[in-house]
Amino acid sequence: MSAESLRRELAALLPGARATSGDATLELMSSAIDPPRLIGAGVVEDPAMMAHRINGAPTGGFRAFLDGTQRSRTVSYVGNVPIVHGVVSAVARERRGRRLHTWSVPLVEERIYAPRSLLGNAAWDALCTRFRDTLVDCTEQDDSAAHPYAMRDAAYHKVQADREVLEQRLAERWCSLENDALFVDGSISGSDTVAKSACAVGVVKSHRTIYAAARDLSVVLGLRAGERTSVFRVTSQKRTTVASWYLRMRDPAEHDPMWGLVRAEIAYADERLAERLAERANEVSRWILAETSPLALPDGRWDTMVYGIRDCEEYLRALA
Amino acid sequence: MIMGKPTALGRVVATERRPNTPHEFHFWTSLDSPVGIGTIVRVEGRDAVNGVVPRVFGIVTEGFSWTDLASPMHDVMGHDGNPADDPPFQTTRSEIRLYTAAVLRHIPEEPLQPVPMGTVYLADETDVAVALRMDGYLKEGSRTGIPIGVYRAGGTDSVIYLDADFLLGPEAAHMNISGVSGLATKTSAVEWLLQSIFAHAPAQKGSVAAVCFNVKGPDLCFLDQPGEIDEADRRLYEQCGVAPEPFQNAQYYAPYKSDGVSLNTLRSNEQLLENVSPLTWGLREVLQYAEVLLNKDDVDAKADALIDFIKENVLDKRFADPMLERSHTVVSFADLDAWFKDVLRSLERKDDQSWRTHHVATIRKVRNRLSNISLRCKGLVADDGAASDLPFGSFEDRTVYVIDVAGLEEDAQDLVFARVVTKLREHLEKHDLGVQQVVVFVDELNKYAPGDGTETYVRKMLLDIAERGRYLGLVLFGAQQFRSQVHRRVVGNSGTAVYGRMDGDELATPGYSVLSPAIKTKLATLEKGQLMVRHPHFTQPIFVRFPRPAIMRGRDGVRQYPQAQSPSLHAAVLRTLRVLDASLTLGWLQDVTALATDDEILRARNDVVRTRPGDVRRAFAANFRATVAPRSASRSESVTPLPAVPADDPYGF
Repeated sequence: MSAESLRRELAALLPGARATSGDATLELMSSAIDPPRLIGAGVVEDPAMMAHRINGAPTGGFRAFLDGTQRSRTVSYVGNVPIVHGVVSAVARERRGRRLHTWSVPLVEERIYAPRSLLGNAAWDALCTRFRDTLVDCTEQDDSAAHPYAMRDAAYHKVQADREVLEQRLAERWCSLENDALFVDGSISGSDTVAKSACAVGVVKSHRTIYAAARDLSVVLGLRAGERTSVFRVTSQKRTTVASWYLRMRDPAEHDPMWGLVRAEIAYADERLAERLAERANEVSRWILAETSPLALPDGRWDTMVYGIRDCEEYLRALA
Repeated sequence: MIMGKPTALGRVVATERRPNTPHEFHFWTSLDSPVGIGTIVRVEGRDAVNGVVPRVFGIVTEGFSWTDLASPMHDVMGHDGNPADDPPFQTTRSEIRLYTAAVLRHIPEEPLQPVPMGTVYLADETDVAVALRMDGYLKEGSRTGIPIGVYRAGGTDSVIYLDADFLLGPEAAHMNISGVSGLATKTSAVEWLLQSIFAHAPAQKGSVAAVCFNVKGPDLCFLDQPGEIDEADRRLYEQCGVAPEPFQNAQYYAPYKSDGVSLNTLRSNEQLLENVSPLTWGLREVLQYAEVLLNKDDVDAKADALIDFIKENVLDKRFADPMLERSHTVVSFADLDAWFKDVLRSLERKDDQSWRTHHVATIRKVRNRLSNISLRCKGLVADDGAASDLPFGSFEDRTVYVIDVAGLEEDAQDLVFARVVTKLREHLEKHDLGVQQVVVFVDELNKYAPGDGTETYVRKMLLDIAERGRYLGLVLFGAQQFRSQVHRRVVGNSGTAVYGRMDGDELATPGYSVLSPAIKTKLATLEKGQLMVRHPHFTQPIFVRFPRPAIMRGRDGVRQYPQAQSPSLHAAVLRTLRVLDASLTLGWLQDVTALATDDEILRARNDVVRTRPGDVRRAFAANFRATVAPRSASRSESVTPLPAVPADDPYGF
C-alpha cells in the first residue's frame, strides 16, 4: 500500500484526520537515539582485555548474509496524534558461485502504528475495523507520552522491534534448516535460538554502547587493522548471552577511532571452553576480514559494512 | 526449455527516466543470457487489454551494463589503486544487463500502447515469422518468400524471407547494398540473392533473368563455375532451399580489345569461351545514345539539331545532295566520316559558311565529337557498322547475362550501361524481352548515380528505373561502398536495403542517424557472410547470415582459367569461330583468308558471329573473293629451238 493511498483511505475513514505531505521517514527524523554507554564486559579469553592479531589469510566462511530494513512515515494526524505507516522486511542472501541469491523467501510486513490511549475510542475502533491485525498500539506509559515527538519515537521503536522480529524469524529458519555460517547484520542475542546456534554470527556496526570498562577502552579503540580484542561475554536480562569481541576491519589511520571497527557475536557455550572460543573468534574474524572486499561503497558505512549486507539492503530497497 | 515451455529470458522494466513507449522498451536479463544486439525477443504482457493479453516482438538495439558502484573511484579504492591487485573477493559485485529493444510488432496491433511490463522470451522460429510479418507472405498457396539468409540467436535458427512482391515489384522493388570493399560481401550477397530468386521466385511472377554489369576485376566472370564452400555454407543453402551450385545458365558479353581481335575480358580462357559473345555496336546503335558520350557543354542546341538531322536523314539511308560530290549510304563511322568530309569540302569549295542551316563550325564540332567516339570506344564500336548484341527479345528464364565492361573506358561503360538498360526497358514495355522481369545489377552506384555533381544521362536513367522500373519488371540491384554518396532518390526507392560491414566514417553520416550506437558498432564489425537487412515488412533492420555463394570467386577463376595470351589474328578468329563449329582448322582459315586484309577478316568474323549461320564454313568463306586453287607450272617436254641467226646479221655479235 502506498503512503498516498493510505492517506486517502484514512481521510475517508477518519473525517477529522489531516493528511501529511512529504516523504521524510521517521528513520531520518526520529530523535530516539540511544545515549553513548560503556558497559564493562566479562572477558573470558584473557585475564584482561587485550589485542590479538588475526593470523592466517582471510578466508571465506559465510554462506549467506541476513539483514532487515524498515521504513516508516507519518501519513496522517488525528488531532495531534500521528498515524504512522511502517514497512519492515528481512532477507537472507545466499552466496552461490560468488554471486548472491535470495535464500528461501524474503519477509515483508506493513503495519499501521498509533497510540490507542491518545487516539480516542472512535478513531481507534475505526482503524481496528479497517486494519485489524496490522494495527499496532504504540501507547507509552510516560508523562510526556503526549508529546508529538514522543509519540513519533514510540511508533519508530515499535517499527524497529517489528523489523528485529522479522530478522530473528528468518535467522531462526536458517539455523533450523542449514548448517553453514550465516552473517547476521546486528546482534544475534535477541533470539535464543539464533544466539545459541553454531552457524549464526552477528556483526554489530554501531557502537553507542561499547562493551569495555573505561580502562579497556584504549585497547578497543587502539586496535589496528586485522586485530581483535579478547573474547568477552555480553549478557543482558532480556537477551541471551553471547560471546563477543571487537575486530578492526580497516586501517583507522586518519579516521576516527571507530573507523572499521565491528563487534562480532557468536554463541557462548561455556566459560570453560574459552580456548575453543578464542579459536572460533580467530576463525570467524578471518571470515569477516575476507568480506572487506568488494567495498560496500557507495554506502556511507562502508568501513564496517560488508558487501553481502549492502546487497541485502539493496535487495530490500527494491522489494519493499 | 523444459518440455516445450520456454524459459524466461528477462523482464521488461520501465522507470520514469527510461520509460517504455509503443516503439521501444527495456528489459533486463541474467548475466549469462544469450541476448545480443540484433536478437529478436517476445514479450508476454501481464494484463489483458480488451480481453487479450498483449504480445510484443522486439529486436535488441542497445545494451547496457553496470554495477552498484556509484563512482569508478570506488573500484579504485577497492583495489588500493593497483589494477594488478586482484583481491580474492568472496562475492562478485552485483551487475545488471539491461537491453533496449525496438518494437517489431504488437499483437493485437490496436490499441497501440506502450510496451507493457512482462516476461521476455527468446523468439523462436514461429515468433520470428510473426515479428517480421513474414507470416503474411509465407502462407501456403500464396507464398512469395525469397530467402535472404538465416537469423541466428541463442539457439534460434530461422530463415528470413523477403517478399518477392516487394523485392521484384510491383509493390516495391529494387535492392541496394552497401559495404566496405574487399570483403567480398556486396558481390557475394548479390550472387546469393540472385540464386535465391531463381530458386524461389513464385510461379505467378513468371520468368526472371538477371543482367549484371561487371565493372571491375573478375568478380562476375565465373558465375557458372563451381566454387568451394564449407559445411556451414552447405547447411545454410539447405536451410534456405537453394541448391549449392553455380548458375546453370550464364551468358557473357564483352567488347573486343582495341585491336579488334581478342575479347576484352578476364574470361578469355579458351575453355570458357563457349558462352562468351562479343559485344559490338555500330554507328546506328551508338548514335541513338550519343548524348551519353557527348559533353553537354560541347553539344549545344545547334549540335543537337545536326545530330538529329544525321540520325533522321543520313543514317542507314541513301543520302544525296546537289552540293555534295557524290551520294552516301552511311552505316558505319567510316561512312559517316566520308560524308562529313564531303560536306566540309563542298562548303569550302563554295566558300559558304552554312549548309542546310547548319553552320560550318557546328559541322566541324559534331564531326570531331562523333569521330572521337569510335576512338574512345574502340573495341565496342565497330567501324563497319556491324553489331553483336544481347539477345533482346529472346531472353531466357533464370539466366544471368553478364556484360563485362571492366576493361572499357568510363565513357564506353556509360554507353553500354545506358543502351542496355534502355533496350531492356523498351522491350519490357512492349512485353517482348523474353522474360517478364529483369534484375539489373550495377556495382559502384556512387559513380553512376552520385548524389552530387552534374546531371548525366546514366544518372537520369537510373533514377527512372528506381522510380518507375517496378511497374515494368525492371529491378535495380545497386551496390556501392558509400550509400551516402548515391543519389537519395535512387537509394530511397530501393524497397530493400542491405548492409555489409560499414566504414565508420560512412556510419557517421546523417543517413545512419536512425541506427543506435550499438547497431552501428555491430555494422562496423560485421563478419563476412553477415548482413543487416531492411525490408518494407520489417519495421526494424534484421541481421542475417548468408552462405558463401557456391560460385568460383574471381581471383580463383583467374588462377584456374588464366587469361589467353594475345593471339594472332587468325588464331583469335579461329577461336571465335570454333565456338560455332569445332571442326574448323587454322589451315582452312589461312587458306580462305589468304588474299584478305585484316579488316576484311574481322568483318567476316563479326558477320558470322552476329548471324550464327548453320554452315559456318560457307558463311565465312562467302565474305572473301574467290581464289584460284594453286597449280604447279609444268615444263613442256620439247623445246622449240630458236631460229638460227643469219650469218650476215648486222646486229649480230
